[in-house]
Amino acid sequence: MVAADIPSSVPVAVLTGYLGAGKTTLLNRILTHEHGKKVAVIINEFGEVGIDNQLVIDADEEIFEMNNGCICCTVRGDLIRIIGNLMKRRNKFDHLVIETTGLADPAPVIQTFFMDEDVRSQTSLDAVVTVVDAKHIHQHWEADEAIEQLAFADVILLNKTDLVTPAELDELEQRIRSMNAMAKIYRTKDAQVEMDSILGVGAFDLSRALEIDPNFLGEDAHDHDETVGSVAIAESGALNFERLNDWMGELLRNQGPDIFRMKGILNIEGEDNRFVFQGVHMLFDGRADRPWKPNETRKNELVFIGRNLDEAQLREGFRGCLV
Amino acid sequence: MARTISQQEFKQVWRGGLSDYVTAISWSGAGRYLAACSAAGEVVLISVSGFQSTLLQSETGYSVDCLAFSHDGQFLAIGGQAGQVKIWSLQSGAPELITTLENKSVWVDHLCWSPTTHELAFSLGKYVQVWDADTQDVVATLNFEASTVLDLDWRRDGKYLALAGYQGAKVWNTNDWDAEEEALDIPSATVAIAWSPDNQFIAEGNLDNTLTVVEWNNPAPWVMRGFPGKVRQLAWSEVPTRIGVPMLASCSGATVVVWERDRDERVGWASRILGNHQGVVQAIAFQPGSLLLASAAEDGWVALWQRGTRLIQALTGAPNGFSCLVWHPQGHQLVAGGLNGELLIWSQTLRGQGFGK
Repeated sequence: MVAADIPSSVPVAVLTGYLGAGKTTLLNRILTHEHGKKVAVIINEFGEVGIDNQLVIDADEEIFEMNNGCICCTVRGDLIRIIGNLMKRRNKFDHLVIETTGLADPAPVIQTFFMDEDVRSQTSLDAVVTVVDAKHIHQHWEADEAIEQLAFADVILLNKTDLVTPAELDELEQRIRSMNAMAKIYRTKDAQVEMDSILGVGAFDLSRALEIDPNFLGEDAHDHDETVGSVAIAESGALNFERLNDWMGELLRNQGPDIFRMKGILNIEGEDNRFVFQGVHMLFDGRADRPWKPNETRKNELVFIGRNLDEAQLREGFRGCLV
Repeated sequence: MARTISQQEFKQVWRGGLSDYVTAISWSGAGRYLAACSAAGEVVLISVSGFQSTLLQSETGYSVDCLAFSHDGQFLAIGGQAGQVKIWSLQSGAPELITTLENKSVWVDHLCWSPTTHELAFSLGKYVQVWDADTQDVVATLNFEASTVLDLDWRRDGKYLALAGYQGAKVWNTNDWDAEEEALDIPSATVAIAWSPDNQFIAEGNLDNTLTVVEWNNPAPWVMRGFPGKVRQLAWSEVPTRIGVPMLASCSGATVVVWERDRDERVGWASRILGNHQGVVQAIAFQPGSLLLASAAEDGWVALWQRGTRLIQALTGAPNGFSCLVWHPQGHQLVAGGLNGELLIWSQTLRGQGFGK
C-alpha cells in the first residue's frame, strides 16, 4: 500500500444566510450526500444538525482586526484556531463546511483563507453559498449583513420558493442579480439542490472560467436603487500591463473597502497567456493563466461587486488601460 | 581534512510511535518519566530507564492537544477535543487516574502547571480555570474575554500567570486571583507567550508577524518586525548570555530567529537568522544548562545549533516532519515527536567514550 504523501488541499464551503433561511437543512443534505466521506462542520449558530458526526464543532465567531485598521486584514480567529487543530489528523477530512450566523460578515471568513498562512496552505475555499428565504428576505433588505451575504456569494439558493408566487420570485431574482452578476442562482424548495452545484464549484480557483450572467451583460439599464451592485465590463482589445497595474492599485487604495469582490480575465498586450485575477476588498490575487487558443477571441471580462460603485468611472478607468 | 566531531553529538537511543500526529510531549521534573499524546487521542507514559511504555489512554478519535507533568512529577494532566481534563497521580509506583474534569462542547487547547505548587491552569474557550490537585478543587476561573485563550504560561516563580489571545496578553497575580489583571496590549493577536526563566521578560509571538518583548514593569516593549509569517513558538535559554540576560529563540515559517540582549540600548536586541530549515518550524527549545538550541520542523529535521548560532548536528527519523520537541530536565537527552506519530529519543554521547560506561 502506498501512503498518500501528496499534500491534499481540503475544499471548504461557506454557508451564509439569515436564521431560518434553510442553512441547516442544506447542511444536513450535504452531510447525507457525503455519506462515507469525512465532513468536518464548523457552526457558529445553534442548529439541529441531524447527522451524527463527531466532527461538528460549535464555536463562537471571533473577529481579529489588525492594528493598521485595514479591513482586508480582518480575519476569523476561531477558524484559524479550529482548522489548524483539525488539520493535524493524518486521515483528515474530505470536506469542510463552515456555517456562519445570519449576522456574520462574510468578508473576514473569506479573507482568512487568503491571509492565514496555515489555513491557506492546507485548505482551499471552494465557494460561498448563500441561502435566501424567498418569503422573508424583504424584511432584511435594510440590513447590511443580508446585502453583503448576497454580494459575496458564489452560489445563491432562493429557498422556500413554494411560499411565494413566480412573479415575486422573478422580481427577487432580478434584484439579487443587479447586486451580484457573478453568482449562480438556483430556486429551491427545502434547500433541494444538486450537490455538484454547491460542492466542488471552484469559485476561488483562478483557472476556472469566469462566468458572468449573459443577461446581465445584455441589459442596458440596471436597477440602481441599491447601493450595492455589480459592474461588469466585457471589451475586446489588449491592455497595457503597467497602466492596468496603476489603475488597479489606485482603485484598491481608494475604493478597496467598498469593493467586495472582483474577478476577471484579461488580454495583456504582448502576452500569449490569459491573465486571470480575483480580489476580496484590497486582497488581490492574479496570475498568467493558460494560453489563448488560436481560434479564441481575445477579450477582457471583469466583474466588480461592491457598494457605491461608479460604473462610468470604472469603465473609463478600464478603457484608459487599453493600448 | 579530518571530520570534526563535536563533543555534543547526539545518537538515537529509542524509537516508538503513536498512531497519529504527536501533539505534545512532557518530561517529568526528575526525568524519570516521559509522556506523549496524539491527535488520535492516545496518551503514553514511558519510563526512561528501560523505555517501558504504558498506554494511559488508547485511541478515542478525539485529539489530545496538551499534556504536562506537575513541577515535581507527581501529577500528569492532559486536555483536548473531548473537553476533558484528566489527571493521573504518579505518587505510588503505578499511574493512577485521580480526576476527570468534564467540560461540555469546548476544546481544552492549553494547560500549564504552576512551577511551584500543584495548581493546574487549563483553557476552556475564553476562560482559564485553575485547579488545585491537593484540594481537588477549582481555585479560580479567569475570563480572558477578548477571544479564546491561544496560549498560557506561568512565571517561573509561580507568582504570575499570563494568558494570550486577541489583543495581546493579560497577566494575573496568582496570590490574588480576584485582583485586576494587567493587560499587555498588542494590536493583533498573540499566539505564543513565554516568560523568561529569570522572571524579567515576557515574549509574545503575534499573528501579525511581530514579536514583542516586555520587560516586567517597563511600559515600553520592544517590537521586532520582519518575520516571514506569524511568530508561532518561543523559547528562552536557562543560561544567560555574557551580559546576564537569557537568549530568546523565535520561529516563523521555516525561519528561526535568535535574539540576544545587547549592551547598547540603541541596538536593544541583536538578531541572528537560522535559515537552514526547508519546512515550517514547529518547535524550538534550549538545552537546560547550555545555549544549545534544538529546532524541529516539518521538513523532517531536528537541527541543533551551538550557542544558538552554528548548526552542529541534524537529526532525522520523521520523514513527513516533526511536530514537537522537549529536552530532558538535565539536558542530556532530547525527545521529538512526528507528524505521523513517530517518537524518538536521542542521547548525548561524549566523544572517545566508546567502551564501558
